Amino acid sequence: MNARSFFLKGCADIAPVALPIATWSLVTGIAMAKSPLLLHQAISYSLLAYAGTAQLAALPLLVVGAPIWVSVMTALMVNLRFIIYSAGLRPSLRSQPLGMRCLLGCLISDMAFIMYMRHEARWRQSPLRGYYFLGLGCANYVIWHCASLVGLLGGALIPEAWGLSFAGTLALVAILVPMLMSRPAMVACAVAGITAVCLRDLPFKLGLIGAIAAGTAAAVFAEKKAVSDA
Amino acid sequence: MRDTTALWLAIMGIALTGVCTRCSFLLLSERLRLSPIIERALRYAPAAALSAIVLPALVVDSSGVNLALSNHLWIAGLVAALVMWRVRTMVWSMSAGLLVLTALRLFA
Repeated sequence: MNARSFFLKGCADIAPVALPIATWSLVTGIAMAKSPLLLHQAISYSLLAYAGTAQLAALPLLVVGAPIWVSVMTALMVNLRFIIYSAGLRPSLRSQPLGMRCLLGCLISDMAFIMYMRHEARWRQSPLRGYYFLGLGCANYVIWHCASLVGLLGGALIPEAWGLSFAGTLALVAILVPMLMSRPAMVACAVAGITAVCLRDLPFKLGLIGAIAAGTAAAVFAEKKAVSDA
Repeated sequence: MRDTTALWLAIMGIALTGVCTRCSFLLLSERLRLSPIIERALRYAPAAALSAIVLPALVVDSSGVNLALSNHLWIAGLVAALVMWRVRTMVWSMSAGLLVLTALRLFA
């Protein structure tokens, strides 16, 4: 197999998750269309950030004019999972040239990571496996931005009465729920949520940052306790 | 909308968090390892962040914390969460939430 067929195999292997990617991206697009962001701002935001969850999480902060660092910190917290993906991919992709690693890094997404790890063993012997990830990542990127654009342009046409401005929050609910598979994750969710509600009147949205820190710390503590109890 | 310079700076900053987290371990020194406690924190931070955004958006309205029928959002959010829990399909979960919201607006 040459580089091209690795790339195409990667593109093809994204097919089973193309629909979830497109739906999620469409929703992100619609939520941004329903926000006060101008079209060119929303498109740049989407192209540059390329992170639906982080985009939606930071969107209300951008809109109310929270301090820059609070918006950035919030996006960072949601994007921290990419560090785990990056560390997970390293054993397989460490031998790729530097430029390739930069490119592949920027294309990391939830689905590309999951699909790559699922098939990784098959390509372990091949030095061209980077092109397989490149195919996964590029296909994901293209699907994402096409659907996002449809949402951005189409969202403006949908009447306000349908309540779609609420779609962004509902999308975050739908992402959060499957994360709650373990006790520590539930602890993180409960502590962070309740703290955020209690501290909502702190200036500069500082309560949000405090709530995320409290939730994360509580989860780490809960897992430690579960380990030592066992 | 706030002034646009701040908006663009924030967008750049958010974009930077994506690039840095994604490229981190593909570019950093081989000697660097994730310590178990950091890895745990990294694993739970996204759930904490989402919850800290979502919960106030659902339960707080102009009158403060409102868990009465007059606040449609938390009911719609709860239904969406329950549907997601059972069905695991984003489209159904969001449709259910929007449907409940619309029904409450029309009839409650």
